[in-house]
Amino acid sequence: MLFSELILAIMKAVNRQRTISSPYHLIKGKKSGQTIQDIGYFSLYPYFGVLPKLDKKAYDQAVQRLFAEGCLLDNDQVVDLSPKAMDLDIAASPLNGWKYRGNENLFFSRLSLIVQTFSHISQQEKTFDPIVINEEVQSWVKKYLKQIDFRDLAVAQAFKKELFTTLTDSGISETHKMIVTERLTGLALSGLTWQQIADSKNLLLLDVQLMWVEALHSWMGVIEQSKPPLLFGLMEGIIQQSSLTETAQRTKKLFDKGFSLEQIASLRQLKTSTIEDHFVELAMNDPFFNYTAFVNPALFEAIIAESRSRKTKRLREIKEHLPEASYFQIRLALAIREEQR
Amino acid sequence: MNLDELLYNTYGFSSFRPGQREIIERVLAGEDVIALLPTGMGKSICYQLPAKVLPDSILIVSPLLSLMQDQVAQLKKMGEKSVVAINSFLKPEDKERIWSTLSSYKFIFISPEMLVQPFVKQKLKQIRISLLVADEAHCISQWGFDFRPDYLRISEILPHLNFPQVLALTATATDKVTEEIKKYLALSEPYVYSHPMDRKNIVYDIKKFEESRDKIEFIKEFVQKYNGPGIIYAGTRKKSQELSMLLTELGVSAAFYHGGMEHQDRVFVQQQFQNGELQWICSTNAFGMGVHIPNIRHVIHYQLPTSIEGYVQEVGRAGRDGQPSLATLLYAQGDEALLDSLVMDDLPTQHEIEAVYRHGAGALHLIDQGIVRETAMRVISYWMTQLPVEGVIKQMELLRSGKRQQVLKIRELIGLQGCLRSFIVQCFDQQLGGKPDNCCINDGIDYDAFEVFSPSTEKHFPLQWQERLSVILPI
Repeated sequence: MLFSELILAIMKAVNRQRTISSPYHLIKGKKSGQTIQDIGYFSLYPYFGVLPKLDKKAYDQAVQRLFAEGCLLDNDQVVDLSPKAMDLDIAASPLNGWKYRGNENLFFSRLSLIVQTFSHISQQEKTFDPIVINEEVQSWVKKYLKQIDFRDLAVAQAFKKELFTTLTDSGISETHKMIVTERLTGLALSGLTWQQIADSKNLLLLDVQLMWVEALHSWMGVIEQSKPPLLFGLMEGIIQQSSLTETAQRTKKLFDKGFSLEQIASLRQLKTSTIEDHFVELAMNDPFFNYTAFVNPALFEAIIAESRSRKTKRLREIKEHLPEASYFQIRLALAIREEQR
Repeated sequence: MNLDELLYNTYGFSSFRPGQREIIERVLAGEDVIALLPTGMGKSICYQLPAKVLPDSILIVSPLLSLMQDQVAQLKKMGEKSVVAINSFLKPEDKERIWSTLSSYKFIFISPEMLVQPFVKQKLKQIRISLLVADEAHCISQWGFDFRPDYLRISEILPHLNFPQVLALTATATDKVTEEIKKYLALSEPYVYSHPMDRKNIVYDIKKFEESRDKIEFIKEFVQKYNGPGIIYAGTRKKSQELSMLLTELGVSAAFYHGGMEHQDRVFVQQQFQNGELQWICSTNAFGMGVHIPNIRHVIHYQLPTSIEGYVQEVGRAGRDGQPSLATLLYAQGDEALLDSLVMDDLPTQHEIEAVYRHGAGALHLIDQGIVRETAMRVISYWMTQLPVEGVIKQMELLRSGKRQQVLKIRELIGLQGCLRSFIVQCFDQQLGGKPDNCCINDGIDYDAFEVFSPSTEKHFPLQWQERLSVILPI
């Protein structure tokens, strides 16, 4: 998937109901109430936080290009997708941002250092400058290597074989696989910079970085499933047990103890609106979330009905027709998973 | 104790490089030492070897984070485990462990700003320090090309540590700078070792053009005439990218390098260069620190350097192997005007100084508001703790005239009729001890000494991921 396709895919999903900056926040993985709840509303889970270092300028440039190419159209306060963009056949992406939460970077740091070590040790080169300077990663890798008895040549060979098998099995393009291996470094062959990779493939920098994330998400998925004995070890601590943000988890704990929304706000010294954001996040993630403490079932049904009949998830529009509902109640109702409705 | 034996046992070297023995002997004799050793002459051995003999910790003050990281990495690579780096990036969970075991570390690297934090000071007071090393000591001098106000803070810590023995290391210092090092480090009668700045195997060339684009043409021709490895110092990030693209289009392997790239990318470029996968690096002055490549044949300056010291340091990255190397300085008419503004831009203006003083503690907002630049703020915030506003303004005036002097030297170099080598050496208050046959443009250069371009040196790069993985892991 190209970076421009990512923007279009997100704009398509939010269906004229969000501004052009919402993909930016989503791609960066902003943990604000709005972004988190949109993920649930519009099923944007795959795209969350896939490029946390995305530069606003670079994003704006990509958007400008889409306007220039006639894919995006300005239409009185909202951004429309042109028919051309709607017809665009964007291939399904293996992105899994909500699940991996940027941890592909941790996975790849470990992998890079392990591969570099194997590359040197197997060629009788005992010292080298570690490619990863993060000490936490370094000590994790040291421990891991000791555990698997890395000086044994058979282990190195088995590791290499697992790399080949799992990468072959991940359903990504050859270009994707090449990008991943080009970011690895060894004794006789150094890794390539993003710009070098982009130039060699006639792609833009952001395209290459996005494809790298796609490749890793897909690859990590394969490793998780097939559990190859050596590579599976790298997944330690990579998958978050809870898909909630940390702060929302704290709110949940207090709520489970019986504190009310207002009490939690004062206990945590946070604004009520922030705590409301947490409940919206809880509602999105927990299929058994009990909303009746915040909105009575009749009002809940009315909100859902209003949203359906008007085909909108715009809060203001719903509020206009249901003035008795608060914005929080509308957001919460919309966040409740479909299967629970 | 036998120093040669110690050297061999520790490093596997059978002999010292010039200067190292003298410096180490004096250090071990308990004297304060100021050592001026050109880059690549093995400065770190001068404290690493004594550490094997001295009973207590060695405290190394290092002004640059990247330099500190590099030295820590080098020590660890040699198998030294008793190393710790204390800087503002220290994680809270590591801090406790480090503070409680501080005295057990042989090598304690620390940044100047950490040095003066009351808590750190307290901790350092409690341990025994055999030797304080001031690395890149020229940064302490406001006359130096690389003045870092924070570095002056070393002088604040000395009384608390009971004035330990000091070793000041630098690659570049004029007499004036050496005097300041003495003053701020309170060294009354140090032993000063001053290695000849002149590197006989480096040939100095200047090419003058009417217009900037002639420089581009020159570089195009040059890289197709001579083999690398070489560095082209481009001045700006943008220019480094442009030049690298230009070379790549000619089919000459090149990459750019600057501080705006992510760490991993920068390491990749360094590795490629070290591995001979690249002929040329087009870079800002960010490239060089911690790069240990002996066979760099060319250093080209696309833009005028801002000081002779800086120039010599950059040029000094060439020819560490002792083989002939060429330093080519490119000049186009009008470049010096650019230089003036470039140099002066670094310093805080009177307007900025006054604004910071007016706002006191809240002055940091001025950066966001665009009223004061970040670099200027760093300089002012140090001096604020030392001087009243008028004093700072005066101080900056002094600095400005110092910088003007440095620029004048560069202008002089460009316009020189006589020997470039003699001029450069004189800038460091040294005398030239004999000229090599291949000396400089004004004495005539024999270009045949430099290897001609051969495209055959280009490496083959794997085109498939399977092949790539197999080259990395040939097992």
